[in-house]
Amino acid sequence: MPAGWWLRKRHYVLYIVREFTALPMALWLLWLLYDVKSAGAGPSAFQPPRSIGFVVFSAVCLAFATYHSYTFLKLAGVIIHVKLFDRPVPPTVIVLTMFGLWALASIAIGAVLIGFAR
Amino acid sequence: MNAETSQHRPALSHLFFWFLFANGGGLTALVLPVHILVQGILGPLAIVPVVDQHQDTWINILGNPLVKLYLLALIAFAFFHFAHRLRYLLVDFGLHAAKGVPGQVIFYGGAVLVTLIAVWVLLTTAPIKLG
Repeated sequence: MPAGWWLRKRHYVLYIVREFTALPMALWLLWLLYDVKSAGAGPSAFQPPRSIGFVVFSAVCLAFATYHSYTFLKLAGVIIHVKLFDRPVPPTVIVLTMFGLWALASIAIGAVLIGFAR
Repeated sequence: MNAETSQHRPALSHLFFWFLFANGGGLTALVLPVHILVQGILGPLAIVPVVDQHQDTWINILGNPLVKLYLLALIAFAFFHFAHRLRYLLVDFGLHAAKGVPGQVIFYGGAVLVTLIAVWVLLTTAPIKLG
């Protein structure tokens, strides 16, 4: 295949973007691991993440992470096949359930991250 | 074992890697955006108070074994998912060597390495507190 095959169609570009989301998400999780490690340095050495550069980096990662969530959870309707009372659950219901779980998980984790702060 | 049964043997390695890939993809899809939004944007901009903005609150919550387990599961599953996606991204860009055994060793080995580092960080950073 020629080098720029993925630029020929919008569908191909979106596919590559979806696959690429792994890189910024991996970088952000590595930062989270560093943030965890830095907590052990003690109160005087601890540097909370507050720089504008970090916020920009996070905003870029958030865009990719949200796109990953949207594409991955939307696929659930194709991948997951379940029956309820001997009748197959429609893919739309499965996708809506996944998006509902996403909202619930976000609220729960957000509540922990904010609720245990001072 | 005859030829027919050997042809229908379950591909356990595929099952194993698909399990890691699917769980990593699902877990990151459900929880990673809120972590980035809260810890990466809202906290640093002081829009809301966030647990990792102060060392005492951060180390306190990191001592909870459930938090340690959650962070380990998130990082470990996520990196197996990332390894799979990035390996095939290179294949899509024409680097077919990424499909071979060295590619698998580099990418999945990298995921194992990050998992081991996460275990070490989580076990050595904050003492486990029960209750």
